[in-house]
Amino acid sequence: MTAIDPFHVQLLAALLFTLGLMVVLARRNIFLVLMGVELMLNAVNLSFVGFSQQLPGAQSLWGQLTPLFTIAIAAAEACVGLAMVICITRGKDTVDSDAFADMKE
Amino acid sequence: MPENIDHLIGTVYFGLFALAALLCSAGLLMSRHPLNGAVYLIGVMLSISGIYALLGSPFLGVIQILVYAGAIMMLVVFVIMVLNQAQDHRVPRFDRYSILGALMPLALLAAVVQALHAQPMPVDPHALRGDIAAIAPAMFDLSAMPGHDGHGYYLLFELIGVLLLVAVVAAVMLAKRTLESTETPGGAMAEAHGATHDGH
Repeated sequence: MTAIDPFHVQLLAALLFTLGLMVVLARRNIFLVLMGVELMLNAVNLSFVGFSQQLPGAQSLWGQLTPLFTIAIAAAEACVGLAMVICITRGKDTVDSDAFADMKE
Repeated sequence: MPENIDHLIGTVYFGLFALAALLCSAGLLMSRHPLNGAVYLIGVMLSISGIYALLGSPFLGVIQILVYAGAIMMLVVFVIMVLNQAQDHRVPRFDRYSILGALMPLALLAAVVQALHAQPMPVDPHALRGDIAAIAPAMFDLSAMPGHDGHGYYLLFELIGVLLLVAVVAAVMLAKRTLESTETPGGAMAEAHGATHDGH
């Protein structure tokens, strides 16, 4: 197995998660908010695979199985999320997330 | 020493993939149009699949490309283009609260990195590679998992199948009701779905 420093893997995962969270919190376009969520899920998967290297034998496979299920859940999330984006966008004809603050007013 | 060469090449590849992933993430954060952001996100996912292969999980890398870069991002790009108003790039990228949203994750990052730094992370030499020959028995052959006395991952697998079916039905219902509610001529939206309206 190629010996990549696990700390570097975790550092990369943390950086990607941070950038994804920045996209979610800072951007106003709802498509980019959704894509930020996808980026955060990817970072967590990378962290799982990085940590799985520290378990012995067959246990190390469990950390590599979890991302498979996470990816399937992410597919369902993207499916419903995009349908909701279609739904709310048709009514207002904009993709600016500030336009959907109806509950505040 | 072949081991040293292997180690060096692996490190160089990891650095390249990590740099590509970080640059594409920054591009996603700063992108002007959502389609540009989608292309950047595909770049991130391809880089991460390369890192999976380097870490000894080639099967996961293949699934990452197939499902994420292939299916999910195709869906995202498709919906962006269906709803593609020319005004997409007229939505301002940031507002005055964005500076908070961009700075607070940095505090989270600092805390996580500090916690990671304090923790020794030894690589177990007996860790298995996650290729298909190892993943498939771990998922479906219970006798191959010593010390694992549960019911395997059959139930989870089936539940995720049902969840995906429910998600697809929900997406169809959400989008269909919206199509009917905008039957009145509404400009570009109605034209973009002219073919679908013909079916009603």
